[in-house]
Amino acid sequence: MKLDQVDIRDAFFDQLYLRGSENKNIVILSADMDAFSLRKFSREFPDQYINVGVAEQNMINIAAGLALSGKSVFCYSIASFATLRCYEQIKVNLCSLNLPVSIIGAGAGFSFGYDGPTHHGHQDLSSMRLLPEITILELSSNDLAKKSINYLIMNKGPLYLRLDKGPFPDWSDYKIDFNKGYRIINPLEEINLISNGFMAKESIEVAKKLKLKGINCGVIDLFRVKPLPDKLYEEIICRSKKIITIEESCKTGGLGTALSEVIAQNKNNCDLQVIAAPDKQFIEYGEREWFHSKYNLNDKGIVSLIINNL
Amino acid sequence: MISNNNYEQLKNKAAVIRIRALEDALRAGKGHLGGSFSCVELLVSLYYGGFIRIDPKMPKDPNRDYFIMGKGHACLALYPILSDLQFFSKKIYLEYGKNGSRLGGQLDTSIPGVEYNTGSLGHALGICAGIAKAAQMDNREIRSIAMIGDAECDEGSIWEAIMFAAENKLKNLICIVDRNRLSVTKKIDSEVLFGDFKKKMNLFEWNCHVIDGHNYNEIFEALDKTTFSKKPTIILANTIKGKGVSFMENDIKWHHSIPSENEINIAREELGITNVNI
Repeated sequence: MKLDQVDIRDAFFDQLYLRGSENKNIVILSADMDAFSLRKFSREFPDQYINVGVAEQNMINIAAGLALSGKSVFCYSIASFATLRCYEQIKVNLCSLNLPVSIIGAGAGFSFGYDGPTHHGHQDLSSMRLLPEITILELSSNDLAKKSINYLIMNKGPLYLRLDKGPFPDWSDYKIDFNKGYRIINPLEEINLISNGFMAKESIEVAKKLKLKGINCGVIDLFRVKPLPDKLYEEIICRSKKIITIEESCKTGGLGTALSEVIAQNKNNCDLQVIAAPDKQFIEYGEREWFHSKYNLNDKGIVSLIINNL
Repeated sequence: MISNNNYEQLKNKAAVIRIRALEDALRAGKGHLGGSFSCVELLVSLYYGGFIRIDPKMPKDPNRDYFIMGKGHACLALYPILSDLQFFSKKIYLEYGKNGSRLGGQLDTSIPGVEYNTGSLGHALGICAGIAKAAQMDNREIRSIAMIGDAECDEGSIWEAIMFAAENKLKNLICIVDRNRLSVTKKIDSEVLFGDFKKKMNLFEWNCHVIDGHNYNEIFEALDKTTFSKKPTIILANTIKGKGVSFMENDIKWHHSIPSENEINIAREELGITNVNI
């Protein structure tokens, strides 16, 4: 798979820069968090950019006040801090008031592998799933990053978006429909892989390796985790004998749990395998690839987990 | 200075609010009276003294002043005011505390004139700072006013907001601290925060006025001074929990005790209110 040379953060913030230049109502709050492409926004639109300092709780409260006054607000920090450090502020001040504030969490999964469990993005998604009013997006490709900006600006309520880093694929050929919430990257088979974010591109590699072993898999990019797409059950689960979810979050409460809820609530016989990080805090340090290798989250490890479970 | 005539009117408003709150608490069997009574004069000043410019017919007018009562459990002091000013009907007012009523033990935005869903402490000042910041960005001349409790000042997010407001020179932001010296379970008599409070807040680059929170002249004077302020203003209002009724004052049990008919009669005599038409 060919990766776009553009860092996904640049794909995202460059588009936000364009929209911010036309729409002075857009305000970005940062909790002392940087990104190369964000600097252009803060330099050229200083009146639309507020660095609140190392104060995530205050960032959300200020965002609530700005949104109550009609601003279109984006909050940016490390995923773990942007969600768990200010969880109640998000629950009460954004969600219960249903305010249009988008929280952008950087550092999904093990992408800040060297910085320890405080910086790992493992519980952010599962904790956000508990909040009734929030929409959750996870970006798997640069085209999705670019197109998400319009959706975020038009969205009327609180939203959490997981933003990764580094080069990501350009899947412009696959249509994005935010109301639908997912897209089929490889056509459906009896066994279908459901993932998103960083693990979506990994799933493509997994599907290739499985095909060499005579196992055909569909690949679905489920980029809207909450609310789970209405048609996911009818169009994906009902047409599958087995669903395999692949995620980098902890096993509890994430993508796999979400799918298990749908399957169980519908009393469906579809088999489900959840591939995720173990439910623990990783007090160890290394590159993302090292973690993936150790915990069977690289393509080789995932393929063996799938084959052993067939 | 407030004229004698106005002073008497304000004093009467406060007495009526206290009696109504007592009756509401008795009727519903629930309510936080102590912390409601400590902030009555402050609320009367804000709403009847012209310091909150908000039209009950257009409570969402973008050019209104914003008021967020962080200590929303003291809603029994606010409901009679919002009802009296006709933000909502007397029918709604009388439903306080009933199952399914709009008026419950906390404030929420389904109530006309209420900006925020209260219940969790420590958030109001930061949200008001965000509102003040938006007004500063848009050159709107509005006030953003938060009322918080002294016990609430334990919350760390208050202090994140204090620093943010000073750094952003949010001159349109006013924070009123109801310093009634009692939380749910303890006396708040430590000097760590409230000793030399004005000096400390000045060092944080806030204007600060320490006043008697039951004295209209002092409340009006402090609020008047905010008009030409170049910085955010904090008003430390020294108050008495349960103020106005002898057996309730400074007694921790009145954080959420419910009065009897007899106790309300004693309160009527002490407050000089024999007949309240709701």
